[in-house]
Amino acid sequence: MADINPLLPVSSSDGSSNLTGQATCRRPIKVVVSIFFGLLTVGLFAALLIRNNGPVDYVDVHENERGSLASTAFEKAENLKPVSRGPAAGVSEKSNWAFGGDLPDYPWNNSMLSWQRTAFHFQPEKNWMNDPNGPLFYKGWYHFFYQYNPNAPVWGDIVWGHAVSKDLIHWLHLPLAMVADQWYDKNGVWTGSATILHDGKIVMLYTGSTTEGVQVQNLAYPADQYDPLLVHWVKYPRNPVLVPPPGIGPNDFRDPTTAWLTSEGKWRITIGSKINKTGIALVYDTKDFINYEMLDGLLHAVPGTGMWECVDFFPVSETENNGLETSINGHGIKHVVKASLDDDRHDYYAIGTYNDRNGTWIPDRPNIDVGIGLRYDYGIYYAAKTFYDQNKKRRVLWGWIGESDSEAADVKKGWASVQSIPRTILFDKKTGTHLLQWPVEEIDSLRLKGKEFNQVRIQAGSVVPLDIDSATQLDIIAEFKIDSDALDKATGSSDASFDCVTSGGAAERGALGPFGLLVLADERLSEQTPVYFYMTKGSDGNLKTFFCNDQSRSSKASDVDKHIYGSLVPVLRGENLSIRILVDHSIIESFGQGGRTVITSRVYPTKAIHGAAKVFLFNNATELNVTASLKTWQMNSAFIQPYPNL
Amino acid sequence: MTKIISLFILEAVFCFTFFTVSYSDINLIQTNCKKTPFYDLCVLTLKSDPRSSTADVPGLARIVADSVNAKAIATLNQISALLKSVKDPTLEKALEGCIVSYNTIIQADIPVAIDAIEKNNPKFAVQSATDAGNEAQACENSFAEKASNSPIFSGNKAVHDLSVVLQSIASLLL
Repeated sequence: MADINPLLPVSSSDGSSNLTGQATCRRPIKVVVSIFFGLLTVGLFAALLIRNNGPVDYVDVHENERGSLASTAFEKAENLKPVSRGPAAGVSEKSNWAFGGDLPDYPWNNSMLSWQRTAFHFQPEKNWMNDPNGPLFYKGWYHFFYQYNPNAPVWGDIVWGHAVSKDLIHWLHLPLAMVADQWYDKNGVWTGSATILHDGKIVMLYTGSTTEGVQVQNLAYPADQYDPLLVHWVKYPRNPVLVPPPGIGPNDFRDPTTAWLTSEGKWRITIGSKINKTGIALVYDTKDFINYEMLDGLLHAVPGTGMWECVDFFPVSETENNGLETSINGHGIKHVVKASLDDDRHDYYAIGTYNDRNGTWIPDRPNIDVGIGLRYDYGIYYAAKTFYDQNKKRRVLWGWIGESDSEAADVKKGWASVQSIPRTILFDKKTGTHLLQWPVEEIDSLRLKGKEFNQVRIQAGSVVPLDIDSATQLDIIAEFKIDSDALDKATGSSDASFDCVTSGGAAERGALGPFGLLVLADERLSEQTPVYFYMTKGSDGNLKTFFCNDQSRSSKASDVDKHIYGSLVPVLRGENLSIRILVDHSIIESFGQGGRTVITSRVYPTKAIHGAAKVFLFNNATELNVTASLKTWQMNSAFIQPYPNL
Repeated sequence: MTKIISLFILEAVFCFTFFTVSYSDINLIQTNCKKTPFYDLCVLTLKSDPRSSTADVPGLARIVADSVNAKAIATLNQISALLKSVKDPTLEKALEGCIVSYNTIIQADIPVAIDAIEKNNPKFAVQSATDAGNEAQACENSFAEKASNSPIFSGNKAVHDLSVVLQSIASLLL
């Protein structure tokens, strides 16, 4: 409710002294009283006017084509109309489903559901998981913490789960690291990051949602620094160490980063927030992680991007093939700012230059700034966080992969969400504009039987089955050669509007695409998930290559996401087209051009499961023959299990 | 004099009431319902709940969530009643599937949405609301005669549309 007092020049307590004071004189009283009520009326109308032109700081759903139910329901449906695949600039994993067809609804039997569980991706034994938290390497173990609901396969009751591994692949579950047992995190022990200090000690900063629902930052540290498993954690007794500063909303202040050293020897962190619809990153300096000074300026801000969650900030080398410790700065170094956008559930990054003196960062290319340019992953991938792995001198990226089936299925199967395979991150020297992501090399240790296929010719309009045994746990590395003649001969089109997301998927034939692989496909191709390239030629003769993942025919079930994901992928002269795919039951991670463009998707077939799943090469282009060479490996399970005898 | 003073007091009371009413959530209701695809349904739902006169935007979202829940429970009861007397096995299968959908809405989607709104993490409310609408749609889809409406069409439509309203309002909290 508005405060009407500022509109009144005279308050009741002061009123008597401003009156003429002669209570017995009627005329002055009449005059004053009528002035009083006259001003009140004027004030009322003024307030009405102000209210009608009031602040519009709500998100206007009309402006944001988020591919949600809302955008299709705008067609005033009298009946429940079939839902079309919308333009979906930002599609959350729960979004519109395509209308049925000949589909058996509720086909989910236990065989199909239990098959969905992954063999070598990190996931707890049951229930819900979301953001990765505080990853680090310490005394010989990789640690991974995560947002976890111990009670249900849906979000809620969030605490910190914990697991350890020697190799980022074989994980052992440990007891919960932190639960919601303090007033300052009673409503949620939310996301945070670890910093390793000079003396090797660890500090953890994390967001707590207080009993009043206010977002604050809290400090925690291992109870016993000599325990390599870091099982027990202690919260700083005088938490919180940071509360929302003036001008920042109590719900717009979360996910503190790993700290880095400034040239003055202080530790510096950044925390995402927003002001109206401008996403921002606040900066704080500290010497002890207890007392902080907020910098006057922001690390960076981008209008129209909304709340920045899970901000990450780290250096990359422009020349070396190793990761950099978070505090490194200097020549030949660029800094990456990454934000998870609350508005569209996607992770965006931008490469730029950091100014240590004033704690600011500017992008190399403002047209692809944070939130409006490149994404880590064009599929289901959110709340990602990196850490510097001092063991192998690499920067490693974790990302949360949610489900894209119905919650009914999640409840039935008793779990929801997995983590991506950890990826190394490197600056792409060849393009200078992209980061390269690649599964950590330790995943190769899961490879079992391998098979090689050389120079397989795939003519335009054909499908080639690959004779491998099982096809639900696979690592595939494929290279595609195209006749350069065909590329030269193809006519350029002025219609340069191809986009994986709005296209007709792998069934839409173009002159120069699509071609690639069909995974989790059954023999009759009644279910298939194409991962492919699609090339276009502009009227200026320039070729563009798109890398896409098409879920539209991935399952006979009607209650799963059927969108097409993907993006432009830079291909340089002389490069062959290459794809790496990790297939692990209901998750597919695809890497185009060495990880320049990455797509993760969740797939829930009803038929192409167990022994019925197969892999095919395909070429649905009209004017292009393609030659593929590839290696495939069966992948072993990672046998993720509880830590024994704890 | 007393007449004039009482006249002015009356005027003041009138102005204050008008003032209060104009600042009340009728304006808030309209502003927010305009940002959903089902304006009339949104306004009707909110106005018929007395909490809306003093609610902020999260409060309005909460009211809609409660309404989805109420409609879902009513529809679930309808489905259960139909199941008692059903003879056609195809119809029975569809109804049983709808039980699953509606149980999900009532036991998972709505509680998560309410929790997320209360804990100020609205993206999970948006996700759950989307799922609730999808569950209602899946239930409607599952009936064999796609050309005509199912026996629980009005329940499915109400739950679906209200879920969309909830999704829209929760999106405003992002």
